[in-house]
Amino acid sequence: MARKDLLDISALDREEIEHLLDQSIPFKELFTRSVKKVPALKGKSVLMLFYEPSTRTHSSFEVAAKRLSADVTNFDVAHSSIAKGESVRETVETLQAMRTDYIIVRHKASGLPGTIARLTKASVINAGDGAHAHPTQGLLDAFTIKEKFPDPAGKKVLIIGDILHSRVARSTSTILKKLGVDVAYLGPGSLVPRTGPENIRRFTDYKEAMAWSPDVVYLLRVQMERQDVQYFPSLREYHKLYGINDARLDEIRKRGLYLMHPGPVNRGVELCDAVMDYERSLINDQVENGIAVRMAVLYWLKPGGES
Amino acid sequence: MTLLITNARIASENSPDLVSGDVLISDGKIQQIGSGLTAPEGARVIDARSRILAPGMFDAHVHFREPGFEAKETIASGTEAAINGGITGVVMMPNTRPAIDSATVVANVLDIAKRTARIPVYTSGCVTKDRHGKEMAGIDGMRALGVVMLTDDGDTTGDPAILLRAMQYATEFGMFFASHCEVPELAGPRALNEGLVSYRLGIKGSPACAEEIIIDRDIRLAHAAGAHIHIQHVSSKLGMETIRWWKQRGDVKVTAEVSPHHLLFTDEHIGDFDTNYKMNPPLRTRADNEGLLQGLIDGVFDLIATDHAPHTPFEKSQDFVSAPNGITGMDTALVSLYHHFVATGKFGWDLIVKRYSAEPRRLLGLPAVSIEVGQPADFILFDTEAETTFTKDFMKSKSQNTPFIDQTLKGRVDLVVLGTEILLER
Repeated sequence: MARKDLLDISALDREEIEHLLDQSIPFKELFTRSVKKVPALKGKSVLMLFYEPSTRTHSSFEVAAKRLSADVTNFDVAHSSIAKGESVRETVETLQAMRTDYIIVRHKASGLPGTIARLTKASVINAGDGAHAHPTQGLLDAFTIKEKFPDPAGKKVLIIGDILHSRVARSTSTILKKLGVDVAYLGPGSLVPRTGPENIRRFTDYKEAMAWSPDVVYLLRVQMERQDVQYFPSLREYHKLYGINDARLDEIRKRGLYLMHPGPVNRGVELCDAVMDYERSLINDQVENGIAVRMAVLYWLKPGGES
Repeated sequence: MTLLITNARIASENSPDLVSGDVLISDGKIQQIGSGLTAPEGARVIDARSRILAPGMFDAHVHFREPGFEAKETIASGTEAAINGGITGVVMMPNTRPAIDSATVVANVLDIAKRTARIPVYTSGCVTKDRHGKEMAGIDGMRALGVVMLTDDGDTTGDPAILLRAMQYATEFGMFFASHCEVPELAGPRALNEGLVSYRLGIKGSPACAEEIIIDRDIRLAHAAGAHIHIQHVSSKLGMETIRWWKQRGDVKVTAEVSPHHLLFTDEHIGDFDTNYKMNPPLRTRADNEGLLQGLIDGVFDLIATDHAPHTPFEKSQDFVSAPNGITGMDTALVSLYHHFVATGKFGWDLIVKRYSAEPRRLLGLPAVSIEVGQPADFILFDTEAETTFTKDFMKSKSQNTPFIDQTLKGRVDLVVLGTEILLER
């Protein structure tokens, strides 16, 4: 069974997730060949609709679509009539008239990709909406963890940082829970919601969280730009309480923990320079795997216009 | 028009028991109540077949968008929605464009109502000019045209100093204040309860304390000023308990209202960003529903009001954050209250008549209407055996932004009579 849209990880069942992760493997194998392209989506059009600036996710989707031989168009939000106040609805009706097959959308408004999906026959992929969801990030994180732990059930992942504003924390924790992984959140009390999912442990103290014995430490970007009011006194204080400094990195190395980060990193905030050279850092694997899972997603979705 | 209604079950605010009888109406007044009444010559006879005969409802909190936002609602369409729901009088909120903050705008609104509405329309006036919370509105000019309720509804009057002084000023004219309660810095523009749902949807929530703080603040201000404060659309149990505490003290005049949606729905109903469950204050939890219902039964809430807030389909089809706050309510309120509370035995018709007909009129300084000899003809017939399906065609409001859209509920408003006119007959 295939879906028209990918809006949120929580909509996918275990079987669909396993299918997408399995399908990503041959796409990743393709990257080691001299010709990294397959004709799977030849003649299909992919439209990139990014209302928020993004380099990594944007180029990852673009590379994924091009390696599937799709035609990629960037809808230039900054210079379009959107900047002149055109509503999303009119934009989408325009795109519908262009008979685009796939729309990849990023927007600051939670739920907006779903609104677009209802308005168009094209397959809509949510590339991040507000603090709501970032399903392909969840998939690439799960894929990366499965590469290290083929049977990840019972493994423990500690997600550290600004949970409140993080769509990555939501999507990655959701998919990991579906795969039987134990997840805990660690961060300042003001950024880890007290009313969160019951099956995710909540820590505000680094030592207590490490005593929980995680297998993977997942650092989030501390996003000052999403904060409307102050949530903690200073980045310096954040780094002191929750950042991976040299001493904490030593402990992580001693325990042999894997380290992940969705990028882009803030050196001196959630991590120190030395983390970037840590041998069990999976940060570059995440980038590479992101292309593979996005290819799998594009290949799997079925735009509504097709019979 | 002479009308004889036979075999009715008559509801009143004083007793849960319905009294069977016939009612004779002529010259816009109830002339006789009894059993086996004979119809005078030329009288129209309606066999009520045991349907409920109740006073017309009165909604003290509606948004009619005229002037300024006529695509959402006009006074004409809004009052037709009222009649459709068995409501025979309304109080408009002042967040129109221009805002109802001066004698000029009040006169304009009342003139439109006089020309286009078939039921009495009252309007509240702003506390502050354009509801900006900075300068006092033209209070005396509005009072001279009959305005008694002052409110910046849609927003809290942010500056407590200006509200206190407005209270000290206008109380002397016999006016009262109605408060939409939220601390803007805590609530933000989001209209979503802070909790598991706001976490799941990735939208920062508005905590109940944002509302409860202003409920308490504004009652304290009224206490200090000797003013009458009316707390609008309470959504949290702790907010209700705050009002209960002040009422028990007994040294400040405080009244309060609750809306059907805050009794019935929770933030869980939002599901996948359904904007028909987006309003301000937001839907909260099951415990809040239950607390509010208890508050209504105990009389902490003096009245039920819908906060009827129409918006166009286009506006409500936007993403959850961008879509405007509010749902329509007048087409659906009475039937939904019957279906969920009267038919299930939670409360009786006496509560409906008291809280949705008599008390809201008294709040405005109007006489309550009842089914008694000598009273003006202002009543409805309600069929408890029939059902209503709230289709787009059924609604008389210009907008259909309601959770009840396409739902079928028990109960139907069959007849609305006001004065010498039958306003609605199904």
